[in-house]
Amino acid sequence: MAELLLDANIRGWVFLPIVVITFLVGVLRHYISLLIGGSQKKADIQQVQDSQALLRARLLRENGKYLTRSAFQMRRYYFNDEEVGYFLTQKRTAPASNPMTDPSMMTEMLKGNLTNVLPMIVIGGWINWMFSGFVTTKVPFPLTLRFKPMLQRGIELLSLDPAWVSSASWYFLNVFGLRSIYALVLGENNAADQSRQFQDQMSGAAVQMPVDPKAAFKAEWEALEIYQHQSALEGLAAEMIE
Amino acid sequence: MPKPKSSKPGDHTAYSELAVRNNAAVVEYCRTSMAALSGCTAGILGLTGFYGFGFYVLAVIGLWVLLLMRAGSKWNRYFLNRKSLLTNGFVGGLCTYVLFWTFFYTMVHVY
Repeated sequence: MAELLLDANIRGWVFLPIVVITFLVGVLRHYISLLIGGSQKKADIQQVQDSQALLRARLLRENGKYLTRSAFQMRRYYFNDEEVGYFLTQKRTAPASNPMTDPSMMTEMLKGNLTNVLPMIVIGGWINWMFSGFVTTKVPFPLTLRFKPMLQRGIELLSLDPAWVSSASWYFLNVFGLRSIYALVLGENNAADQSRQFQDQMSGAAVQMPVDPKAAFKAEWEALEIYQHQSALEGLAAEMIE
Repeated sequence: MPKPKSSKPGDHTAYSELAVRNNAAVVEYCRTSMAALSGCTAGILGLTGFYGFGFYVLAVIGLWVLLLMRAGSKWNRYFLNRKSLLTNGFVGGLCTYVLFWTFFYTMVHVY
C-alpha cells in the first residue's frame, strides 16, 4: 500500500481541533457536573447507622488479630449474639424503592445522563457532521481488516489500509485515551481534596449504601461468625525478650 | 513520594488503608505520566509496529524498577504487593500511550 500524502491543512483544521475539542469538553463536563451535582447528598440517619455498623464489623474482621481474645469476643458479642446482637436485633426492611418511582432517584439519573451521555452524543454528532470524510491520521502499527469499520467510520474505501484513521474514529480514540489524562489534570487542581475524599469514602461510606441492609447484615453476620480469632501478638513477650 | 504506613516491624505489618489508597493514587499518577511521556517519545522517534509496543512494555518495567528503587528494601511498608505494582493499570496506560504515540507520530512523520 502506497503512502498517502495528506494535506497539512487537514492537520491544522481537523486533526488538532478534534484533540483540543475533546479535551476541553472533558474539562467542561467535569466542572458542569461539579456545578450541578455539587450539593452534598443527604443521607438518611438509619442508612448512616447501618453502613457504619457494617464498616465496624468489617474492620473487626480485618484487624481483629491485634486484639486480645476477650476483647475480640466482646466485640463479636455486640454484633452477633443471638439475643442482643446488633445484626440480629435490628430488623431492617428491604427498601422497596424502584428507581422509577422515587423522584430523587430520577433526578440523580437525569443529572448523570445530562453530564455524561448527552455531551457524548451531541459532541460526537457535531464532530461527525463538521469533520466528516477526512482521513486524519495513521496509527503507527499494522492492523487487520477487522479494524476497518472501527477506525474508518465515514470512509468506505475498500482498498485503504486499515491503519488509516478517519476523523470520527480519531475522536473516539481521543475520548478513550484522554480519560486518564483527565485524572491527571483535574486531579492536580483538587489534589488537596483527594485525601479528604478518601476519608469520606472510608469513614462515612454512608452515601454508597448497600441496596438491602438486611442482606448485608446477614452476610456480615455470617462472615463474623466463621471468623477464627488468631491473635497476631501471641508470642510477643517472648519475642521482645529475645 | 509514598507515605509510610503505621510502622510495625516484624512479620506483621499493619497497613493503614488510607495510606495504601493514597499510595495507589500516587502510583497511578506516575503511571499516567509515564504512559503519556513514553508515548510522546515513541511518536517522535517514529517507532512503528512491535517496536512501539515493546517500548511501552519497557517503559512500564522501567517505571516499576524505579518505583522499587525509590521504595528501597522496605517496599512492603509502602505496597502490599510487588507484582500488582507492575501489572495494575497496564491496559489503561496502553490507551493513553497509543493516543500519544499516534498523535506525535502523525504530527512528525505522516504530514
